[in-house]
Amino acid sequence: MALDPVQLAISTVTLSAPLALAAIAGYMSERSGVINIALEGKMLTAAFACFAASTYLGAVGGILVALVVGILFSLLHWYSTQKLKIDPIISGMALNLIAVGATNFGKELLPPDPIADGKTLPLQLFYVLAFAVPFAMMVWSAKTRGGLRLRAVGSDPDKARLVGVNPLSVRFSALIVTGVLTGLAGSLLVTETRNFTDGMTAGRGYIALAALILGGWRPVPALLATILFGFASAVQIQLKGTELAGANIPSGVWSMLPYLVTLIALAGFVGKQRTPGGLGKV
Amino acid sequence: MKKISPQVWIVVAAGIAVILGALVLAKANPAEAIRTLGTGSFGSMRALSGTLKETTPLLVAGCAVYLALQAGLFNIGVEGQLVMGACTASAVGVKMPTPAGFFVGCAAAMIVGGLWALPAGWIKAYRGGHEVITTIMLNNIAIYLTDALVIGPLKDPAAAYPTTESLSKATRLASAVKANDLQINFALLVGVGIAVGMAIWLKKTKPGYELRATGANATAAKFAGVDTKRVTLSAMVVSGAIGGLAGALMVFAHEFRFYQGFSPGYGFDALGVALLAGSSSFGLLPSALFFGALAKGGTALAALSIPKGITTLTLGVVVLAFAAVRYGRKAKGGGDGA
Repeated sequence: MALDPVQLAISTVTLSAPLALAAIAGYMSERSGVINIALEGKMLTAAFACFAASTYLGAVGGILVALVVGILFSLLHWYSTQKLKIDPIISGMALNLIAVGATNFGKELLPPDPIADGKTLPLQLFYVLAFAVPFAMMVWSAKTRGGLRLRAVGSDPDKARLVGVNPLSVRFSALIVTGVLTGLAGSLLVTETRNFTDGMTAGRGYIALAALILGGWRPVPALLATILFGFASAVQIQLKGTELAGANIPSGVWSMLPYLVTLIALAGFVGKQRTPGGLGKV
Repeated sequence: MKKISPQVWIVVAAGIAVILGALVLAKANPAEAIRTLGTGSFGSMRALSGTLKETTPLLVAGCAVYLALQAGLFNIGVEGQLVMGACTASAVGVKMPTPAGFFVGCAAAMIVGGLWALPAGWIKAYRGGHEVITTIMLNNIAIYLTDALVIGPLKDPAAAYPTTESLSKATRLASAVKANDLQINFALLVGVGIAVGMAIWLKKTKPGYELRATGANATAAKFAGVDTKRVTLSAMVVSGAIGGLAGALMVFAHEFRFYQGFSPGYGFDALGVALLAGSSSFGLLPSALFFGALAKGGTALAALSIPKGITTLTLGVVVLAFAAVRYGRKAKGGGDGA
């Protein structure tokens, strides 16, 4: 089993980029106090929107539609958790179901052709954004009034209310940013493959959330966690079909690796002390 | 009766509008689609048998989710527990082609299902990692692991695709009712038994009470002397065992073997079943029947060239609308780490 280090580095970058965008999307939402297991569904809807719109509107139009759809879907999450006060896990699950159903439904109504040449943005743009956003977010949340308000609302919505910060409006803005970032993450997936397939996010939304938790709800450590998962996936792809100690390992065994890493990481490193105090509180 | 705010009704109306709008987009006649859904699920004895067959795993898996939910846990991992249970049951059933194989297979499936839920329960109770994330990871691991097993050591050498050997007639679970086209397997009665037994256990016994107390308010339960960590861990393990049994019953009653892509997502639909069941586990019976009818009727919709996504979309909308009506005012407190 020989690993090619250059290929490994490239795969790690490409595999962790969508996770990093989604993890920071989760950061905005969870730091404002909204538990977000709907990252998966938001990415999937945005991916579909990007795919459907790019063919007709071109690269820029496609991504704009993906962002708008991402924002609207994210605001539906805001409405259901903040206005209707539905349990965030239940509403997140329902949104994921709606995303899976609606995108499968929509795909059947569209021509199945992949996006044509020249109708997608350059991939490098997404990769640069994915690795820049966590650092920008670190500075923003530590140094600006908006960042302070975000964390205040997420830590204790009642105290925030006492000093005149309205949790509902802070969360509204936060979920718009979540929608933008999941929109980018979904568009990235479609730009890579030029096509949309059912459930193409393949659990990335959940892995991103796990990375956020592993990173203690901090942007740069969360980025490092996504790189760890990206690396595990990259190793897995290279090891597929190789022999280990003379035995032929079925590829399914290697496919388990990133999920196993996530599980072990959660078992070993998560501490309750870093959880935002107001997470899930209305 | 709590007051339901007008905006909840707006959500319900919007949900109905989305589904009807989707049907119109697919150039289908909504009335015809609903009629097809009805006849496809309850229209004939054959359709009813199919609906009840779909209902069985949904009911048992729904019981698994429901039990965890009563302890305040979201067991998204039933899908993984179900496939692990089904894989175990068929491996045992193939090795033991006797009636005893059924009982040993079910027991083994329950043990494996429970063990598969154990890490999630342990991480939740003692490490503070949210069960939603861990169970989703365990689902993926379960699906890849069973895939590898059924491609490799458990594969029927005579079969062209990844599947285990078929169970012998002696190990299979018989039909309880078999009249013309109507067939109801004993597995459904097992499911009903679990739902009823669980209702009694939750309401009438001390551990059942401790479990509900932990789910309702863990802090208060802890002060009252309940070992909430132990309750969390055991609720998850028992839930996983029931999930494993759901897979075993599918094998012994209907499928008679385990193959790649065994579950079309019963474990995930079971979440909807449990959420719609409401405050008593008796509610699981109509709720599982509704989901079963939707699954069976949904295949009939394909004949009208309506994409199958419509049923998933409908489920999502129904869960959201139901949650808005029922759970709307119950604000859940406390950061629990998701």
